[in-house]
Amino acid sequence: MQKVRQLIRPEQIRELSLLLIIILIVIFFGSQIENYYSARTFQRISSSVMIIMVVAVGETMVVLTRNIDLSVSSMVGFTAYLAGQQVSQNDNLSPAVVVLLAVSFGALLGLINGLLVAYGKIPAIVVTLGTLAIYRGALVEYGHSKNILVRDLPDWLVNLPRETLFSVGELDIRLLAGLAFIIVIIFQMVLLFLPYGRRLYAIGSSPDAARIAGLPARRIVLLAYVLCGALSGLGGFIYLSRIGTVGTTAAQGLHMQVIAAVVVGGVNIFGGSGTMIGMMLGAILMGILEQSLIRMQINEFWKDAIFGMFILLAVASDALMMNRLRDLWARGAIQMRIAQDAAVQKE
Amino acid sequence: MNQLSPVLEIRGVSKRFDATQALDHVSLTLYPGQVHALLGENGAGKSTLIKIMTGIHQPDQGAILLNGRSIQVTNSSQAQLHGIAAIYQEPMIFPDLNVAENIFISHRGRGAVVNWRKMYHDASDILGKLGVHLEVRSQARGLTLAAQQTVEIAKALSLKTRVLIMDEPTASLSVHEVTQLFNLVRTLRNQGVAILFISHRLEEIFEIADHITILRDGKLISSKPVSEVTTETAIRDMVGRDMESFFVKDESRRDDLILSVQGLARSGVFSGITFDIHHGEVLGFAGLVGSGRTDVALALFGISPADEGKIIYDGQPVTIHSPAQATHLGIAYVPEDRREYGLVMPMSIAANITLPMLRRYLTRLGIVKRRAEETTAEEYRQRFSIRASNVRLVTSKLSGGNQQKVVLSKWLNTKPRLLILDEPTRGIDVSAKAEVHHIINELAKEGLGILLISSDLPEVLAMSDRVLVMREGRQMGIFTRQEATQETVMTAAMGQKITVGGI
Repeated sequence: MQKVRQLIRPEQIRELSLLLIIILIVIFFGSQIENYYSARTFQRISSSVMIIMVVAVGETMVVLTRNIDLSVSSMVGFTAYLAGQQVSQNDNLSPAVVVLLAVSFGALLGLINGLLVAYGKIPAIVVTLGTLAIYRGALVEYGHSKNILVRDLPDWLVNLPRETLFSVGELDIRLLAGLAFIIVIIFQMVLLFLPYGRRLYAIGSSPDAARIAGLPARRIVLLAYVLCGALSGLGGFIYLSRIGTVGTTAAQGLHMQVIAAVVVGGVNIFGGSGTMIGMMLGAILMGILEQSLIRMQINEFWKDAIFGMFILLAVASDALMMNRLRDLWARGAIQMRIAQDAAVQKE
Repeated sequence: MNQLSPVLEIRGVSKRFDATQALDHVSLTLYPGQVHALLGENGAGKSTLIKIMTGIHQPDQGAILLNGRSIQVTNSSQAQLHGIAAIYQEPMIFPDLNVAENIFISHRGRGAVVNWRKMYHDASDILGKLGVHLEVRSQARGLTLAAQQTVEIAKALSLKTRVLIMDEPTASLSVHEVTQLFNLVRTLRNQGVAILFISHRLEEIFEIADHITILRDGKLISSKPVSEVTTETAIRDMVGRDMESFFVKDESRRDDLILSVQGLARSGVFSGITFDIHHGEVLGFAGLVGSGRTDVALALFGISPADEGKIIYDGQPVTIHSPAQATHLGIAYVPEDRREYGLVMPMSIAANITLPMLRRYLTRLGIVKRRAEETTAEEYRQRFSIRASNVRLVTSKLSGGNQQKVVLSKWLNTKPRLLILDEPTRGIDVSAKAEVHHIINELAKEGLGILLISSDLPEVLAMSDRVLVMREGRQMGIFTRQEATQETVMTAAMGQKITVGGI
């Protein structure tokens, strides 16, 4: 048991149990829905999850610092619209330029959030509730309620969601879904192996201690917001290519799904703990639920209610389970110390 | 002390906050390999001085010299670069990170990528040099306060700290842990670190310090080698007047029982707790921190109820399963952490005092009767001489000692018959401490049964009619006032041999 405790952290048990829930849910829906185990189901779920996953990577970083970004849906909408407008006016824009445009415009919007939160000392929930409305309002003003239409978009963009990276049997792993997965892995590595990543955890874990330890807390939080904006920009680009027809209400309400994925994925809403892998599992779980409930033709009200129930269950079980586990781990550590002390005394 | 050049000098530093002169031309010299104690009542300017040394505040006047050269310290990371680090009463650790990460979080230049293996190795190395056993992979959240402090010391050491400020590091440690901490402090001293040590416990100061500086009202009162200071002169310098050395409780125990506890247990936490409390009696609870004293109190107050054993209250067997029920029975619990559980800081003194009994202060329409509330609060303010111009003042503005008096007032206003006090004088200054002792004495005389949990051994011995000693969740014995001495109680608390005591 002692060895187990040293090798596995409570967070990892949580991720394993999330994986188990996903498997159980898939088995359940498989027994309820005809022809559930098909390439089509996989395609639907993976393409609906990929946008949420990319944006939630940025959201996770912000949440780890004990902040929140509610404005992601407006950032996704705005960047999707802006990129769509530019690409439909200039046919010869290269894909790289379009992606860069979306990402850097998102980063700019994130910078505004970050400056207000980190340097303006306004609570994050207030700032981003404000910018959620402001960015959306600015988009409506900018777009004059005109839609970007699929027929105005270049072919490469419209066909992008069907580009396949590789196939496993009948399942095609699409380029964009692969991209989302790679981003999750890259940022998981950032959290694990870059000093910046560890400092994100430190700041969310104890802001007071961070100040005393001399960590550049404001810069770290600012960068988290800029990255969140940039990833929302990338999310906006994926949204544009997947949906095609983009109006000024694009991606409205997406922030709730993003935050749901983060929370269900076990990222502590008060900062300091959580992983990208957990968030990804959370996003996948929510995606499977959503798509499967649509397939079962359950009405909108019940779908939302089941969604909400899952979020509550996740957070409640998280609090219960993690406290228990941490307690168990801590007691193990104390027992070990007592044993060592005893051994030392014997000598 | 063979090196005679000072590492850090503070020259004529002054600092003013609005109307208060927090520091008034204070000078202090720290030598490598010296433990320099800083004494003073709360509000004497100790915290301000520390905050100036660590760059949180800037002095209005005066200079800080490091190795003879004047330096500017404008934030914590600059202080770190100059080799100045501080450790506080509440460890400033990152609960979600593990031990090794906590040690290296402020380090620069350990490469662009975190090398976990090397970090664990280096962390074990540093802890090994300090002679402590700690699993470097375990999360800081689960560690005891003492272990968390050790992590902070290890961190300071790894940052090549030359000046280590320790602000009341022993306030929440048990006797055993203090001994270990002092061993650490001596190790650091021998390595040539200059240590500025702050504590309210005089006997500790005399044990560890080489030099003692005393502040009062922002002014430097005295600064002498420890050999020239005695307890009496130190207390006199701190309070500015002579004081009886330690107040001893009057005899007030009556024959009728208020509470009888038999074989109380909570699985995995404590077991076999058996004791009686009479009216007018103070039963002291001694033991190391983590020995389960607070857990027994929490069980009696119904926060985490016991799962075995009998509680006979006022002659009736009862099971206590919620704080509301305990309050109804006439049990009041004054918790250890005033900031978190004791007071609602942004509310007024009056609102805090009436909070548990608010129903008594409501009109028929459910509106708070401000005048009745303030009358009650005013009574307590005068009775306990709470230093505030009026009871409408918010409690966050009060000093620790006065906050503690408000907490006491709040629970006494519930008219309890059994009062549980958990570390009632922790972190408050000498004169406020004496006042709290007087209050306990008065309450016992009125016939209240009092259960006093305290890590301050002289306090427990002076204030208790009998002392129950716990160790690792078990009851080691109950000592009468005659039997209880520092040695007997300590021996039982350390579990070196089981001493037989009456119940």
